[in-house]
Amino acid sequence: MGKTVLTVDDASTMRKMVSFTLRGAGHDVLEAADGADALAVLRTRAADLIITDINMPNMDGIELTRRLRASTSYSRTPILLLTTESDPGKKAEGRAAGATGWIVKPFNQAQLLAIVAKVLPA
Amino acid sequence: MNDNLQQQLIKDLLVESFDALDRFDREMLALEKGEGNADTLNIIFRIIHTIKGSSGCIGLGKVESVAHVGESLLSLLRDGKLKANPPLITALLEYSDALKAMLRHLEETGEQGKEDYTALLQKLQVLQTGEPPTAPMAAESEGVYGLFEGPETPIGIPAAPAVSAAVAAAPSATAPKGAESDAVIRHGPSVSDTAIRVDVTQLDRLMNLVGELVLARNQIVQYTAESKEPTLLNAAQRLNLITTELQEGVMKTRMQPIGNVWAKFPRIVRDLARELGKQVQLVMEGNETELDRTIIEAIKDPLTHIVRNSVDHGIELPAGRRETGKAEKGLLILRAFHEGGQVNIEIIDDGRGIDVAKVKEKALQRGLVSADQAMRMSNHEAFAMIFLPGFSTVEQVTNLSGRGVGMDVVKTNIEKIGGSVDVLSEAGQGTTLKIKIPLTLAIIPALIVTSGGERFAIPQVSLLELVRLEGEQAGQGIEMLYGAPVYRLRGQLLSLIHLNRELKLEGGRRGAGAAGAGEAAVNIVVLHADGRQFGLVVDEINDTEEIVVKPLGKQLKSLSCFAGATIMGDGKVALILDVLGLAQRAKVIAEVRDHTLREKTETVERADDRKTLLLFNAGQNSRLAIPLSMVARLEEFPRSRVEYSGDQEVVQYRGQILPLIDLAKFLPHDGEAQADSDPMQVVVYSEQGRSVGLVVGKINDIVHQSVTVNRQAGRDGILGSAVIQDRVTDLLDVAGIIRAADPSFYAETKNL
Repeated sequence: MGKTVLTVDDASTMRKMVSFTLRGAGHDVLEAADGADALAVLRTRAADLIITDINMPNMDGIELTRRLRASTSYSRTPILLLTTESDPGKKAEGRAAGATGWIVKPFNQAQLLAIVAKVLPA
Repeated sequence: MNDNLQQQLIKDLLVESFDALDRFDREMLALEKGEGNADTLNIIFRIIHTIKGSSGCIGLGKVESVAHVGESLLSLLRDGKLKANPPLITALLEYSDALKAMLRHLEETGEQGKEDYTALLQKLQVLQTGEPPTAPMAAESEGVYGLFEGPETPIGIPAAPAVSAAVAAAPSATAPKGAESDAVIRHGPSVSDTAIRVDVTQLDRLMNLVGELVLARNQIVQYTAESKEPTLLNAAQRLNLITTELQEGVMKTRMQPIGNVWAKFPRIVRDLARELGKQVQLVMEGNETELDRTIIEAIKDPLTHIVRNSVDHGIELPAGRRETGKAEKGLLILRAFHEGGQVNIEIIDDGRGIDVAKVKEKALQRGLVSADQAMRMSNHEAFAMIFLPGFSTVEQVTNLSGRGVGMDVVKTNIEKIGGSVDVLSEAGQGTTLKIKIPLTLAIIPALIVTSGGERFAIPQVSLLELVRLEGEQAGQGIEMLYGAPVYRLRGQLLSLIHLNRELKLEGGRRGAGAAGAGEAAVNIVVLHADGRQFGLVVDEINDTEEIVVKPLGKQLKSLSCFAGATIMGDGKVALILDVLGLAQRAKVIAEVRDHTLREKTETVERADDRKTLLLFNAGQNSRLAIPLSMVARLEEFPRSRVEYSGDQEVVQYRGQILPLIDLAKFLPHDGEAQADSDPMQVVVYSEQGRSVGLVVGKINDIVHQSVTVNRQAGRDGILGSAVIQDRVTDLLDVAGIIRAADPSFYAETKNL
């Protein structure tokens, strides 16, 4: 049974890559361009997993994670952070904010599917 | 990843990255000017960060690794570990260029390119105060992905809020409880909800279809106009309205703010100014002025060229500016605004202006004009020469704005899209280039005319006025000058082109000739091209209409007379006239110029420019002229009012006594006075509060033209003669006549 995944990234290339991969694996994918946008999307649609970039305009991924954890509906939903090597400090910050896991950019489709499978058991 | 997706992703990456890198340049410049803030640094960092992330994910290793170096440098900048300074900013701008070059290469060839950026990257590393960037692909010991609490984290258990001391200290106060909904309200629908990217070809297709619809609409409206069926009329009317709205709507989707073109100018100006050691402040007004994207494309290069020119040739070095009392920093203003259905763009600099003498000298050297012509040329004419092919006023062509493209190309490109360019300049004060371009090229208002049984469309932008000569005028209004037909429109000579003859149309009703008398009315369409006016004689003037411009097939492309074709309401094709091409083909533009030059070359007494002359006759002297500037008033007096003061004829005029000089009596070889003309025609001439009346036969005309005066000795009261309106005309020596007739006129005020 497919789940609904929200991918949050200001780069449409990244969103497309994530959504193409996950749709291929049978999931529904929602897209948002930044943290604020993600919150707007989640007002109307429910997601089983949120994959978010960290560095975004308006609201970054850390802040988004914090807010979702503070809300009742998303306090337990898995959140994966897309991080980069250049800011390892962010990983700790994300962990503190309550993120579930991380993926380092760049990643390939197999890697993405592997971590998604871990947080979204069929 | 399949190939299709890969291609799609690359395309997205390219579009996104080009936009982002332009933004990067702008923010960088803001930073340099000291206008940057923490947010600026964040934006700059994020741009490169995003490019790096995206390119890495779609397997563009080289782009990614180049992006990575910049990213590490920018993160130091963002975190305040590195201060922005000019060398650093220059290096980063170069870096942005390198990325753009790679992406462009990728766009064109699908490859990342073999260009070696090692030197640049090393430079960036040195700027990073020695800290070498980490390799982008260096495998982290923890792996590419993972879960914070081990792989077995059960879903559904909230991740423990492991708030370490360090994180707690971080500014997290921005997230109060329940802020989620706040955020939603504050941000409303995001941009990604309300805006989408659409492929340009898609828009072009839509525009084409709307064009077809407009044609079909025109046809239906034309047919139903004869119908009396109210339902059909209603439907046609609705179709008409909706089509118009649809057309406007689709046109709007193709509109782009001119700011899109301008976005790169701050960078160009900055780089150029630096290279030349100049200081230039660029001010842009009217960024949001919208233009059709095809036009945006077309003006990109000409505008860039003009801007480069202004910085390179216009604005002086700081030292030079100081000497002339100007601020060291030169000012370059770009201004765009809508006016009368057209877009006006002005490029204004406060530089040295165009040196008229230098322009003339250069034109002389290049053999573009003769010495005589150059001397007599007005400033405005001289400025216009910078648009001649192969013209450059700077002694050493710098490699900055030289580049083999001259202002002539700028002018041609702008005129190609139905625009015009004009230059104003004042030595030492600066130069202003004014460009006028149409809003769109796809659907234009046009005047439909008929000639030789064919219909033609004339773009309304070239249209000045319509003149209809009827009856006697039709035969006599058109004169011949140097073998070419001309019409005198309010004193201005207007060269004429007969469309029938020019296009060798069969069955032209007025094939006989310009002066052919006794024919039906002559319709003259007054047009302007290349800053000059000319008249186009056509058989019939029909109507103005919105026409859809269709390009001509390649077999017909070489015809300079036609700009395209359109389909009329009745389904027939009409050719769109290319006004400039037509004028050049008929040589009216070049010829007019020749005439003026020839007339000027023959000049003995140098008339600095055109003069306005009053033409009249007196006695047997059928054609006399005096400059209108000498004429105070034209009066009529009944002969009964003439009185005598001594033997001097006078009339009472405005409380003064006006002495009269009868030219017919005065001028040599003229026998008798015009006793028969009553009332008398009097030209009142005033000087220093005193007036004298010249009695003439008949006032004929006022002409405005340049005059070539051939001095002739031995004729009292005549300065010389000139060809005016193709006929020999004597110029009156007013001062001489007055002196002879009334020696006291120029003497001290005499007591009455």
